[in-house]
Amino acid sequence: MADLKIKIGKMLWKNPVTVASGTFGLEYAELFDISQLGAIVTKTITLLPKPGNEPPRLAETEAGLLNSIGLQNPGLENFIKNDLSEYQKFDTNIIVSIAGSSISEFGEVIQELDRQPEIDGYEINISCPNVENEGIAFGTDKGIVHNLISHLRKITNRTIIVKLTPNITFIEEIAISAEKAGADALSLINTVYGMAIDIETRKPKIKNGIAGYSGIGIKPIALQNVYKVAKVVKIPIIGMGGIRNTNDALEFIIAGASAIAVGTQNFVNPLICLEIIQGLEKYLDEQKIQYNDLIGSVR
Amino acid sequence: MLYKLLPIVEKEIINNKYFILTFSNYDMAGQCYPGQFFRLKNPQQNFPILPRPFSIHNVYENKVSFLIKKVGTATIQFSAMKVGQKIALLGPLGNGFTLHQNKKILIVSGGIGYAPFPFLVGKLNQMKNEIFFFHGGKTAEDIFSNDVIDFTEDGSIGEEGLVTDGIEQFLQKNQVDVVYACGPQMMLKKVTEICKQFNIDLQVSLETIMACGIGVCCGCTIRIIENGKMVYKKVCKDGTVFDGYKVVWNE
Ligand SMILES: Cc1cc2nc3c(=O)[nH]c(=O)nc-3n(C[C@H](O)[C@H](O)[C@H](O)COP(=O)(O)OP(=O)(O)OC[C@H]3O[C@@H](n4cnc5c(N)ncnc54)[C@H](O)[C@@H]3O)c2cc1C
Ligand SMILES: Cc1cc2nc3c(=O)[nH]c(=O)nc-3n(C[C@H](O)[C@H](O)[C@H](O)COP(=O)(O)O)c2cc1C
Ligand code: FES
Repeated sequence: MADLKIKIGKMLWKNPVTVASGTFGLEYAELFDISQLGAIVTKTITLLPKPGNEPPRLAETEAGLLNSIGLQNPGLENFIKNDLSEYQKFDTNIIVSIAGSSISEFGEVIQELDRQPEIDGYEINISCPNVENEGIAFGTDKGIVHNLISHLRKITNRTIIVKLTPNITFIEEIAISAEKAGADALSLINTVYGMAIDIETRKPKIKNGIAGYSGIGIKPIALQNVYKVAKVVKIPIIGMGGIRNTNDALEFIIAGASAIAVGTQNFVNPLICLEIIQGLEKYLDEQKIQYNDLIGSVR
Repeated sequence: MLYKLLPIVEKEIINNKYFILTFSNYDMAGQCYPGQFFRLKNPQQNFPILPRPFSIHNVYENKVSFLIKKVGTATIQFSAMKVGQKIALLGPLGNGFTLHQNKKILIVSGGIGYAPFPFLVGKLNQMKNEIFFFHGGKTAEDIFSNDVIDFTEDGSIGEEGLVTDGIEQFLQKNQVDVVYACGPQMMLKKVTEICKQFNIDLQVSLETIMACGIGVCCGCTIRIIENGKMVYKKVCKDGTVFDGYKVVWNE
């Protein structure tokens, strides 16, 4: 049987399949053994609780989903008190996604989380399009990214993954500066800016107007970002954006992703991650290729 | 909560607008509680992307049924499906209605808001409640049963007028302990105003657009007043049933 083990920073994953931040919770443990995932990524946590944006926050479009959740989360203290021990029960890598409104705030969150056992890594979300101060602005300036990641690198030995936005011109620059500053891996991509309008009321379907676009419609965008970035960095990439099945996952791996994450499709088929793990094994067996040789093997 | 691909075992066409799909599964039927819902998706179709939420209409003999109104892509696709074809079901989801015993209960529904009540009425009857059921629709097509007190806006069947006018008159003459309501927002808002006048406990079942349906995405939130403060609650997990007085109704 195919060996799907992969190293992401200091973590060893039993397989390269994980879930995208904000699209998965322990509720899914009722439906399948989530310890079978290579890793679990939490919803993004901030230092203080965030109520999120005004509803409506969701709109389905022809080829994907618009969301403007606005990083609703219980805040660091509640997360540690109520949620973390639940995550720690699962036999897989736990990656906590975090965001902050300043470098020191990111630092404070990581310092606190570093005291908690059984967290294997952090995904630094500098790419959320739905919040003002702790979102995308951070991830669009290579100088800020360098300062932020260098600062966090000094604080923690755990794996640091930086999640990038596609909503910029030269994603390679940001990727390189994250790598130089000591990031262990990159996640790409976060949602793309998008919009939908109700022609009866002439109002945007999302209260905030502009939202984050995910799902099948962004797959080509995500794929070319992974392909471009894989050419300029040595650290592993976790590819995501519109993955709905094994074939989609394979495209990302061949483009250069060492691992993949499923987001929106979890809402459609909650067992999709398991199906992809099995699908990858079958493909490797049939093609008689090692997983590591497949990564970035685009011709 | 279970996720299963199940064949349609019965399909009943009520009229041009409404139909009932029934599925048979011992485990799913055993978990159902009145006011909960399932998410349904035709696995053969990529579009629409998201599964759609439907209230549990009734549960009997290990079967779970859904009363569905044709409104758009997914519901029209479902209406064209045949017995034996498979649908992906996730559920039961949500918290459902709080049940009572030995009470006088008023049920109010509007249009497809009728869907969750036959299952609830069955349970309330077992618990020795006295039930008054008022239902309103636009035309005769929107009326599902002769056993309830029906109102139509065009007067084509039952009494002419809005169901909310009907319950207001009823409450002036009769005392009830609890009201359960499901229907369009405007109707629920009006029911809340009426119940307030008479100071009656009110449980409303709400609708929003849902992405995950199980509480992870925070997409389906509504505004609720809790301890004097406005907070967001998830309709799929904290609801769909809420205390009507705490809901901040949309204008
Ligand atoms: C908890 C709950 C219980 C429901 N119970 C029933 C029921 O028992 N019977 C019934 O006929 N209908 C029920 N509905 C409404 C039903 O879900 C919608 O009619 C259905 O989603 C329409 O899908 P469509 O593709 O046919 O129409 P579309 O044209 O895609 O949408 C029409 C309307 O349906 C709603 N809708 C669309 N997508 C979603 C989504 N992902 N989640 C929620 N709502 C959406 C929106 O209000 C939209 O404007 C319920 C809704 C909720 C939230
Ligand atoms: C409802 C929803 C909530 C999300 N919340 C977060 C979040 O909290 N943090 C984050 O980094 N990304 C968040 N994302 C982005 C996803 O993690 C992912 O990057 C994006 O959806 C693309 O993948 P997909 O097309 O497979 O969904 C969210 C996406 C969705 C749809
Ligand atoms: S639909 Fe995802 S939290 Fe309710």
